[in-house]
Amino acid sequence: MMCSSARRRISDYLDGRLRGKEYSRVAAHRESCASCSAEFEQMRSLCSAVGSLSKIPAPASLRTDLRVIASQQRSALVQNHGSRLEGIWRRWRSRLDEFMRPITIPATGGLLSSMLLFGAFGFTIGTATQSVGYDVPVLFADRMDANLVPVELRSSVVLTFSLDSSGRITDYAVRDGSSSFVGNPARLQSNNISLPEFRTVLAMAQPITRDISIEFTPIVFRP
Amino acid sequence: MPQSGLEKPGNLSILADAQTGVSEEDARILRGLRAGIEDAYEELIEHYEQPVYSMVYRLLGNQSDACDVVQDVFLKVFRGVHAFRGQSSLRTWIYRIAVNEAHNRRRWFARHCHREVSGEIDGGERGNLLESAPDPGRSPYDYAADSETRARIERALARINPIFSAAVVLRDIENLSYEEIGEILQISLGTVKSRILRGREALRRELTQWPDGGLSQAMAYQ
Repeated sequence: MMCSSARRRISDYLDGRLRGKEYSRVAAHRESCASCSAEFEQMRSLCSAVGSLSKIPAPASLRTDLRVIASQQRSALVQNHGSRLEGIWRRWRSRLDEFMRPITIPATGGLLSSMLLFGAFGFTIGTATQSVGYDVPVLFADRMDANLVPVELRSSVVLTFSLDSSGRITDYAVRDGSSSFVGNPARLQSNNISLPEFRTVLAMAQPITRDISIEFTPIVFRP
Repeated sequence: MPQSGLEKPGNLSILADAQTGVSEEDARILRGLRAGIEDAYEELIEHYEQPVYSMVYRLLGNQSDACDVVQDVFLKVFRGVHAFRGQSSLRTWIYRIAVNEAHNRRRWFARHCHREVSGEIDGGERGNLLESAPDPGRSPYDYAADSETRARIERALARINPIFSAAVVLRDIENLSYEEIGEILQISLGTVKSRILRGREALRRELTQWPDGGLSQAMAYQ
């Protein structure tokens, strides 16, 4: 970098406005050139000297004059915008506005966030369980394998189906109070027993697995 | 930029001010001014009287002119607060008014009074600069030790072209950024850089003309 180019950048360099390669080039030239280094140092001292000049104090009378001007302008503002009473009301409303301002943004933001959150997810909230008005599932069988449901229907029997997310039976169990039996749905199908499919249930917009229990109670007809 | 509801008296706005470039504190002062609250007027004067006067004094070179201009500045601020759009900071806006008023005053005097505001050594008033504007924050000993150096720098500032001295004052004394100076003087960033550089170089030339090595003394002040 030439001296003329470096010296054109003295002010930018001293004011911290040079970045990256440009700063590096100027700094490198300053290190290598004694003349420019002296010039930079001189300019730096000059800027510091000017910067150290204190504020020139204003005369006391100026403050009084400015207050008179302020008073006149305030009076003109009141006259232009209604009665004295309206001016008092306007000032109190401004003070109320200042009082409310620090809490208004957080409160409004909280309310809007809550509305947005529940509005976005509210429709996805459903009951994990629901009563379904199905008819009692009917099993059709050509023949019955004794091992399919090895219980005697003497007392209440609870038949529990485990359903996957599509509503299909993945497992079943039979309980008759003292004993229980866990069956194999594949054996039911192999015996031409059609298994019902149930409606899917959603929770948080996602299908879920569940169990369905059916209780059978024997009815005795006595003539 | 959409206007805050408080610009029209009687509208209650409880949401954040829509103005950009204005700090929360300045926005509060502006709302108070528009509502006619006395404390806001007092607070504005308290914050800006001294820095505005100091800057204007250095642009004009005498106390009476500086006082007149500062009063004109605040009058314009009070009257123009409803029209202020907030696209710049409050300080930038006030400084811009102050620089324009100072330049208008200089042109008026140059046209009507044939009075040199700069370019001459105003030994009388400038020489009495420190006596007429004492710094209450310093001891009498400190005051006497560097008063001459300060006076030399002040006189050098008064001698250079006011276009360049304004840029140097805003940068080195008021510590404003290049962008703020550009907003105040209504010039591009490149022009700001050029004026600051040329102003500093002109100032250095003025100081190096002292036969007694005034430049060294002025630099050693640091």
